[in-house]
Amino acid sequence: MTAFPMARALMREALLAARAQRVGSILTVALVASVIVAVMLTAGRTVGAQQAVLRTIDDAGSRAIVIRDDGGAGITTAALLRVSSLDHVEWAAAFSNAADSTNSLIGGGPSVAARFVYGDDTRTLGLPPDATGAYASANALRVLGLHDGAGGITLSTGAEYGIDGTFDPPDFLRQFDPLVLIPEPDATDQPVGMIVAVADSPEHIESLATAIAPLLGAIDPSKASIQTSEALAELHTLIGEQLGGFSNALVVGVLGITGALLAVILSGLVLLRRKDFGRRRALGASRGFIVALLMTQTGIVGAIGAASGVVAALVLLAANHDPFPAGAYTGALALLSFLIAVLAAVFPGVIASVRDPVKELRVP
Amino acid sequence: MTGAQPLEAREVVFGYERDRNVLDGWTATFPAGAMTALVGPSGRGKSTLLFLLGLMLRIRGGEVLIGGQPTSRLRDRERSSLRASRFGFVFQDAALDPTRTIIDNVTETALYRGADRLLAASRARTLLDRFGVDVPVDRRPGEVSGGQAQRIALCRALLGEPQIVLADEPTGNLDPASSGVVVDALREHAGRGGAVVVVTHSPEVAVACDRVISL
Repeated sequence: MTAFPMARALMREALLAARAQRVGSILTVALVASVIVAVMLTAGRTVGAQQAVLRTIDDAGSRAIVIRDDGGAGITTAALLRVSSLDHVEWAAAFSNAADSTNSLIGGGPSVAARFVYGDDTRTLGLPPDATGAYASANALRVLGLHDGAGGITLSTGAEYGIDGTFDPPDFLRQFDPLVLIPEPDATDQPVGMIVAVADSPEHIESLATAIAPLLGAIDPSKASIQTSEALAELHTLIGEQLGGFSNALVVGVLGITGALLAVILSGLVLLRRKDFGRRRALGASRGFIVALLMTQTGIVGAIGAASGVVAALVLLAANHDPFPAGAYTGALALLSFLIAVLAAVFPGVIASVRDPVKELRVP
Repeated sequence: MTGAQPLEAREVVFGYERDRNVLDGWTATFPAGAMTALVGPSGRGKSTLLFLLGLMLRIRGGEVLIGGQPTSRLRDRERSSLRASRFGFVFQDAALDPTRTIIDNVTETALYRGADRLLAASRARTLLDRFGVDVPVDRRPGEVSGGQAQRIALCRALLGEPQIVLADEPTGNLDPASSGVVVDALREHAGRGGAVVVVTHSPEVAVACDRVISL
């Protein structure tokens, strides 16, 4: 028999043995499922909360570096090109100094700050890819009296723009809301009031902030300021390391205890099945077959336990409105539990395989 | 069956305890086509000898030869493979798996031989019919009589047309009718060229054998 039919035959035998040994199978399923539920409701819930917090910290706002021309620094759109080309810069855009804008139809009235946006990717700002015209935040529309989102604005320079849409200001622009943005992707050598660069991860913020300063080409660098969310980045690292480390230690501990418990239970079940293994050995089953049979049998039951545990844990988390840990975490936990169950069968399998078949057959 | 091989024990030494041998320099040949009875009082090592011949125990000295090939230095995998492919075993208490069906019990050895399960199941049905096991094959051994259980064990032993059949008191717990079926089946197997070795206390079984070796 070649390897595949032999593996299929072994699988069938293990499945039938698992069905026949109901007590052992139910115990194994219950133990593996309980472990997954316990881990998911403790460490998994912590991980879920941790991941939710990290997602919040890790959004574009917390990874943003804001370079401001505080007046007379002489920063232009040329600096944007240099900043954009830096490694670990995920996105960058420049903004002009604010200009007052008013509702064109009213011809006066309350004004809102409008800024030109320089840069070829405006999607991070919540604008369409090829945005033209002007885009107002909800607050800006309200202040300008453009409640239905239609109309136009007139800048203090006299230039007029139609409102093409609205946008939700990202964190780094919230302080400027109400705000109107006017994309100018092709502008060159324009003076800018602010450049925003978003790092690809929080740990690169500090090094990027250092690298950006000499690239600004400021006439008077003392009038340029660089603001970062370094504290948030440190918090990100702290949460990731400390909570993650605690969760990992807990999971390793629980899985270790589970493996030991399973090995004890399976060893006990092997003793109960002495006659079964003795008969198999006498009839021609090799030691390797006995070990493989017990491992496969435990693997089948362990997989059922892992699947049941994941489903039960997710139902309980959902019922309590707790955040789910990431799919990769849940999958890894299920896989690890399954592997622990399979490995826990090695020792009892070896015990079963090395016992004298004659003595085992003589067990009454 | 292809060229049945004789079974031979040469100067076999074996003991369960370190300083006491059950068998000490025991020699015998079990030719193909013959049914040999091992008889003698209890405690003389008849069953032990059967387990030694069946490669379930390791000898302390001497040699067990199968088809002229020594086996004492074989590794477990090779000994297991020989047990599965060359031998058929019948134990006194049938030694069936109570959790599995009759057909699964009969075809169990096919798994260890690596034989096709469906073909084995087909042959198992034929054997069960031939030996008068008239219960559905999806029943468990606990649902049949002792005589039927021993016939099922016999079917399991003969499933792979083994060259050697070792039977340990196969009629010990059976009524005369079932005993007759078992002995006839073993005789028939020897008639087809198999080497059959039977440990027995029964004079009727011993008389039915071609040779009798007393321990």
